[in-house]
Amino acid sequence: MVDLPKKKVGIIACGGEEIPEGTISRVAARMVLEELRPEDTVTLCLPLFLAGDERERAFARFYPTIAVDGCEKLCAKRATEKYSGPVSSYIVVDKLIERLGLSPGKSRRELDEVGQRAAEAVAQEIVNQVEHIMGKKRAVAAVPEIAISASAGAGTACACASGIPITQVNIGGVSVGLVALEPIFEHFYQEGRQDGPGLDEEILKTVKLYNYVPSNAEALYKATLLEEYEKFCRRKGG
Amino acid sequence: MSQKEGNKVLIIPCSGIGKAFGSVGREAMYMVIEEMRPEGSDTLCLSLLTLGDEEAKERVRRHPVITIDGCPKACAEVNVKSAGGRSVANFRVVDTYREHPELKVRSVLHLGEAGRKLAHILARKVASQVDAIKVKEEMIDG
Amino acid sequence: MVEIEYLEAQVDKFVFKVKRGCYYTKEGIWVQVENGRGRVGVSDFLQQKSGDVAFVNLPELSTTLKQGKEMGSIETIKADVTINSPISGVIRETNRELEVKPELINEDPYGEGWLVLVEMSGFESDRKNLLTAEEYLTVMKSQAEEEAKKR
Repeated sequence: MVDLPKKKVGIIACGGEEIPEGTISRVAARMVLEELRPEDTVTLCLPLFLAGDERERAFARFYPTIAVDGCEKLCAKRATEKYSGPVSSYIVVDKLIERLGLSPGKSRRELDEVGQRAAEAVAQEIVNQVEHIMGKKRAVAAVPEIAISASAGAGTACACASGIPITQVNIGGVSVGLVALEPIFEHFYQEGRQDGPGLDEEILKTVKLYNYVPSNAEALYKATLLEEYEKFCRRKGG
Repeated sequence: MSQKEGNKVLIIPCSGIGKAFGSVGREAMYMVIEEMRPEGSDTLCLSLLTLGDEEAKERVRRHPVITIDGCPKACAEVNVKSAGGRSVANFRVVDTYREHPELKVRSVLHLGEAGRKLAHILARKVASQVDAIKVKEEMIDG
Repeated sequence: MVEIEYLEAQVDKFVFKVKRGCYYTKEGIWVQVENGRGRVGVSDFLQQKSGDVAFVNLPELSTTLKQGKEMGSIETIKADVTINSPISGVIRETNRELEVKPELINEDPYGEGWLVLVEMSGFESDRKNLLTAEEYLTVMKSQAEEEAKKR
């Protein structure tokens, strides 16, 4: 049985020191990681990310990432887009808590009772987004449609020391880097699934666990992936 | 430059979210700017600075900066310098911990009593550095 | 120039390197044979799991080590980690740099973060109790996955 990388969602919080909403973003991210969804999430350290840590940047490049920003300056979102790629979704804490009729509280250092309630509400919104990304629960507030960057990945080897396998595939004339494609194909091959009804749908569903696929391009992805899989099987001699 | 802002030393912690020492550095910063040296110090969002916010860059150009890092990767120091800031002193939480290894920090979100003590010891050192910087600047101005 | 090769395993966002050409205990202590001597250190996985190193406690020069027996410890901000010797022999060098820069173990666990250099006795026998890099990679990956579940 092939060992497929487990899908997790990265959470990158601004942790801004100047306002309580920055502290709320930090606390909410940790609450999700430690208590609410420990098996599904990873936190990315924004200062380390900005300082150039390739491991943090690689994770955000290849796995879905939620940016949690204290204010409209959107430091976490902008940093992720600058150094890794589009975020899967983002939360702006001051706007969210205003919409929910809550207050950030008075302290940016240690959250008071009011701030703590706000952090819990933000944490719940992060969980909603995580579940949407993981396809586990209900669809929630619209996740922005994000075009796949044609520059995602770099060649057939992993783009950095992250060890994540990337395969470049021509989809509709655009070269797209797909995470974990070879291990996915290997998995189906070892299962003995080389043809049959519904195979294209299942391959697409598995690819979507690790890659963003625009909804208006699913049919194209499905057809292309099936072709690539057939080539893979021929190479394996099956 | 306003009189209110004019004399302040900026204290910028890394606020690393992955390690408890990131929280200790952050707490030490707040202790200094809110309790120990409220007139003489302030802080600034590190990520805002690193992403090129003009106002943040102007502030670090005008004011001396003390950075506090939670681990040897020294992200606060690295990011302030890369943004053109003038880092006059850098503190590493682990150095204070090495002087007080009995103070084990509870967790990233909850420092615990020992963690807060560690932050307080560090904050006193940072506050002393703020004083030293201001004395030096007064000597230069005078 | 010889290119150093590493095997890698990834769990979540963490990548763990295993240096080829070294032998390992399952606890994550490596030994690299250099002209009849064994250089000893901690693996990348062990240093990442343990946290930032604050203190290193190493034995004195000329101390006799026995495979599997305690030879020292590293104290991190999270835990005290006992280091059991992967080989038998006599210590000929210790890494004095670690007294002032213990973080070398975190920054360069297979290079500048080495712990001791040992004049080995009975390595042919000791080797039977050690893992190759490939074998350690498998063991380490399971350990890393278990650690990830605990978080």
